[in-house]
Amino acid sequence: MATVKFAGIVKNFKDNQVLKKVDLEIKDHEFVVIVGPSGCGKTTLLRMLAGLEEISGGEIYIDDTLVNHLHPSKRQIAMVFQDYALYPHMTVEENMSFSLRLKNAPKKEIKARVAEAANILQLGKLLHRMPKQLSGGQRQRVAIGRAIVRQPKVFLFDEPLSNLDAKLREEMRVEIAKLYQRLHSTIIYVTHDQVEAMTLAGRIVIMNQGVIQQVGTPIEVYRKPANLFVAGFIGSPTMNFIEGTLRVEKGHVRFSSPSLSLDLPSKLLPADGSHEGREVTLGVRPDDVCAGREAGKNCSQKFDSVLEVSELLGHRENLYLKTGDLRLLATVEAFFNQSPGSKVPVCLNFDNMHVFDRETQARISA
Amino acid sequence: MELLSSLYEVAWFVFVVAAGIAVLEGYFYYHFKFHDRPWFFWAGLAGFPLLAWLGLGAAGLGKEGLFAWLFATEAVVLLFFRHIVKGRNSLAYLLLAPAFTGLALLLVYPFVFQIYLSFHDLKLTTIMQWKQTGTLPFVGLRQYYDVFTVPPLAEAGFFKLLGRTLWWTFVNVFFHVLGGFALALMLNNDIRFKGVYRTLLVIPWAMPQVVAVLAMRGEFHSQYGFVNIILNKIAAFSPFLASLGVGPVQWLSDHPLTTCMLINVWLGIPFMMVVILGGLQSISSSYYDAADIDGASYFQKLRFITLPLIKPVLMPAVTLGTVWTFNNINVIYLVTGQAGGTEQADILVSALYKAAFTYNRYSYSAAFAIVIFLILFAISVFYLKTFDAAKEAR
Repeated sequence: MATVKFAGIVKNFKDNQVLKKVDLEIKDHEFVVIVGPSGCGKTTLLRMLAGLEEISGGEIYIDDTLVNHLHPSKRQIAMVFQDYALYPHMTVEENMSFSLRLKNAPKKEIKARVAEAANILQLGKLLHRMPKQLSGGQRQRVAIGRAIVRQPKVFLFDEPLSNLDAKLREEMRVEIAKLYQRLHSTIIYVTHDQVEAMTLAGRIVIMNQGVIQQVGTPIEVYRKPANLFVAGFIGSPTMNFIEGTLRVEKGHVRFSSPSLSLDLPSKLLPADGSHEGREVTLGVRPDDVCAGREAGKNCSQKFDSVLEVSELLGHRENLYLKTGDLRLLATVEAFFNQSPGSKVPVCLNFDNMHVFDRETQARISA
Repeated sequence: MELLSSLYEVAWFVFVVAAGIAVLEGYFYYHFKFHDRPWFFWAGLAGFPLLAWLGLGAAGLGKEGLFAWLFATEAVVLLFFRHIVKGRNSLAYLLLAPAFTGLALLLVYPFVFQIYLSFHDLKLTTIMQWKQTGTLPFVGLRQYYDVFTVPPLAEAGFFKLLGRTLWWTFVNVFFHVLGGFALALMLNNDIRFKGVYRTLLVIPWAMPQVVAVLAMRGEFHSQYGFVNIILNKIAAFSPFLASLGVGPVQWLSDHPLTTCMLINVWLGIPFMMVVILGGLQSISSSYYDAADIDGASYFQKLRFITLPLIKPVLMPAVTLGTVWTFNNINVIYLVTGQAGGTEQADILVSALYKAAFTYNRYSYSAAFAIVIFLILFAISVFYLKTFDAAKEAR
């Protein structure tokens, strides 16, 4: 079990800089999920840690050992690939024992370690099958088993669930969470799916365009997104954004946009003269758009909106609302029982409201 | 004027071919379209043999008994269409018909004729009888017996030739795969001017074989070929190597088989290289990533990842290569086969060629060819069976 440290990591592909000075420390026994849209450099970062990609600049440490020039097999890591990369001409057992056989480990030890991994992942019955004869989920488990057999210091997962269908993905997500509880080792997990990130991570690293946007626990990045990108990326359905201008008026700040004006409480944004005339984006999650229910005491004044479409999800319902030119999405308890076109009174919950500077995109509210 | 007349000739040829295909399609169209009409049988029986007989007669191809043959054939075709095809999938058959006819003319007819020849006796002394009466003495299996007992050439009999052929095939295919594999591995790296190298390496294969072989044959000339010139220079440069026996060699007269092998290895490597390169490029790089993490060295990756994963591409290529090399007459004939050439380099096929067209033993060589065909058939079946077995195991 080990710590991992990235210090000023840079990666250039020809003239294209895909990683711009990435600094990140991962503690022992930590489950860190690196999440971001495709092309943000997250997989490249992982492959550099694994030693499969050249490091253009900066240093990577595993347990305080500089690994920049260490061969992948010497870094004591194990990687689970997106396409599993199971050797198609070897049985499950041969796949799992390949690394040990290369090292000429004693036969007894190989057998014991494969059996142990197979036991953890319930692969016992499949040991003599070929990868082709396995389902997607089973292949994924074999790929994880191959990693476990190596008893690595750090497990690397490169989008391991993205080739599975939705139902299987949920099952495997739970299995990986269980596996982490059992192995309790350092895991770095790359995904583009924010749901996986939220559910699995001890800490989430959100990346965009080669830069780390925010590092924090799932609840931190959900409750206090550091900038517009994180706010829009984390959470499903996506946060509502309302663009407008701030005015400072007698002891409080007033937000105004063409369709909507709100008095913001000083708890959210203190009445500071510097806010005068500032262009901002207001962020409210669909859950905090209170439609048709009793507003809490920390709610904005009510305003009217028109229901355009409602989507029933079962226990929840998505309401697509329109106020002036502004479109808002609200998520409410089922069943909302109003037909499209009807008028709905709405207020916004100040407790979970976010204000972002439109120029710097950074969060300015508390 | 020259140009015009040759253009006219080309145009005429194209027209004749197109018209032939059109006539053929019309012929089949009739059978597909009207197979269930009451007049189908009689109209076909009366019309086609007569038309064909008249057409062939006008072209000067009319022969005694031709009309009866056409009549019988047409009856069979009509019955076939009425009772077996029955109008099913007729468009697909119609579109395939010209290709099938071509195949029948080019493959089936010669093969059947060859089997006919092998059970009769056509040679220099009976050829006039065949020309005049159209019949040949039937000899049963004697030609097949002769294949194994009467040498096709002045020097070597069947089994000696067979041994030489197997040796020739083994050496060639072995070095084709080895050389092709080595070159493909080098080309599979990220190197500059990859396309240029690939093009240069494929040239011997892309060139007409006659040109390539004759050019190489010149290079093995004892006095003016570069092979001996280089050997001369080496011997002059290093007396030590010269004392070990390095020096010019009378390639064409003393070592004809070795010369043929060298030339054929050179010719055959590009094909294997292209095939193996394709196989290498289809291997997902994530296997190599996984093997890197598992700690495999370069040779371990080659042995445990690359080789097993290119096997599906390699096996058919090796089968093809074996058949081609076994059957290769071009190189041996072009290097040694001209007048005054040696028979020391002859393998089964080139001996067969000489038996047929130098010694005029047509029926004997027909039987000989069928024996070779059976050997190759067995080899191919064996290869494909082992290949299938390997695939099953996956």
